[in-house]
Amino acid sequence: MFSKIEKNPFLTLAIIAGGFILFGYSTSLPKITDFMIFCIFVLGFDLLYGHMGQLSFGHMLYLGAGSYGTAIFAAFVTPDPFLGIAVGIFTAALLAFILGLIVVRTSGACFALLNLALNEVGAFMVLVPFPQWTGGEDGLSLFFKSYGFLNFANPTFLFFFVLGSLLAVSYLIMRFVRSPYGMFLKATKENEVRVRFLGYNTYIYKLITFVLSGSIAGFAGALNTINLSYTSPSLIDPTRNVEVIFAALMGGAGNVMGAIIGGTAFMTISNYLARYIIRWEMFLGVALLIFAFKFRKGIWGYLRKV
Amino acid sequence: MLLNVENLNVHYGRAQVLHGIYTHVQEGELVCMVGRNGAGKTTFLKTIGGFMRPSSGTITFRDQRIDGLPLENVALKGIKYVFQDKRVFRELTVRENIELAAFPVKERMDEAIGKVLSIHPGMEKHLDSKAKGLSGGERQILLIGRALIGNPQLLLIDEPTEGLAAKIIGQIVGILLQMKAKLSMIVVEQNLATVSRLADRIYVMKEGVILREIADRETIQKPSLYEEDL
Repeated sequence: MFSKIEKNPFLTLAIIAGGFILFGYSTSLPKITDFMIFCIFVLGFDLLYGHMGQLSFGHMLYLGAGSYGTAIFAAFVTPDPFLGIAVGIFTAALLAFILGLIVVRTSGACFALLNLALNEVGAFMVLVPFPQWTGGEDGLSLFFKSYGFLNFANPTFLFFFVLGSLLAVSYLIMRFVRSPYGMFLKATKENEVRVRFLGYNTYIYKLITFVLSGSIAGFAGALNTINLSYTSPSLIDPTRNVEVIFAALMGGAGNVMGAIIGGTAFMTISNYLARYIIRWEMFLGVALLIFAFKFRKGIWGYLRKV
Repeated sequence: MLLNVENLNVHYGRAQVLHGIYTHVQEGELVCMVGRNGAGKTTFLKTIGGFMRPSSGTITFRDQRIDGLPLENVALKGIKYVFQDKRVFRELTVRENIELAAFPVKERMDEAIGKVLSIHPGMEKHLDSKAKGLSGGERQILLIGRALIGNPQLLLIDEPTEGLAAKIIGQIVGILLQMKAKLSMIVVEQNLATVSRLADRIYVMKEGVILREIADRETIQKPSLYEEDL
């Protein structure tokens, strides 16, 4: 039953939309808006990890680039939220392109650690050399313009805007992975050298994927800034990479439903469990062990078999 | 001449594995490389295919130097490689495996599928199944069929019959004989009975050097005459 859902993109989108609307109205719209933004971030990360098979320990860099791109633009140029989002995505895409030129030449542990190192550099750049632009440790508090009902200060509008963004990103990724390009990604994940023997310049395709993945992370960062009217160094903190890795593993890497289930499960645990268990991270650690040994394909991977 | 190799030397780190190899392949010719394990046959194929860089020497394909080219560029020049391990893209369907090969050479899908079916019509029923479900023989046929996409001029085939049942070996040999009229091939093969059926010319390799070249048809058909050289 669950594998049939995955084969129909519009049914998948309907389930995602229905699930979040139900969840949002039965709990809290601002909280579920946070969840959906995190899911967009997981989708971007999963394009790289689940679809292309490259684990990055530094994807927070692109979330942070998107967030700070939007924030600096709003603080110093104009507080237009739509232009701010565009600038945030562009900042992350440009950074992913420049760094990707080097990073995608590597793979495996080298790829993961090089990304982590670059994330560390990015976090340092935000904290130390340019505090007049980034706000240093304090971050930046912002104000965004509204245009009639297009008012990001209105939680309902923001909720549906982020939901629309999540659905758009999900649809884009589903189209992407079902195209010849998606076949290429799957094949590269299995054996890159064999793909090159077919005549593909895998470097170019990997760079495109890296930029797309970074741009989606940047989009999530931009939405986060608009959602909170604030950005801070925690959005580029390299130690938080574990969150997105954990979410992708828990949901099941390599498909949209897995990323969204993983993102939602992680946010649910970190938001609700923290009320009852002070060191809730311990629960995550135990959960990770269970997933690593019992459910290697994550929650969605398990459900697909049902 | 289609392919000309002159004074080819290849190293793995400090260890030299090919020593001054001279070979050539004519248009429409099927050349077999024979020799024991470790003789350097696969290294030779990988070097022609662009997977390994020679330390010195030249490889010329249709009068153009190809040594040192990235392997995707070698493939786009019309040299296709069929690996020994019979690994297809397991998570893709048979159709997607074919489509993946057709895309970079801009071949139409119906033509590409037609090429695979022309050598094994039975593959049609597997087109929409994941390639990991194919038997060893079917995988080999898919790999050979996939290599035909884009009208290659030279196929490099490494141990095509290794690990296959006798019945399947007969089928693979039949396919290679059928293809022989249309393109050139270098086939690495240890089974001398198969070699004697396929080869127009044989290079016997030992410890990284070409020990002997056999072009005489009568000698090729009597493996006992060169078996002792291995």
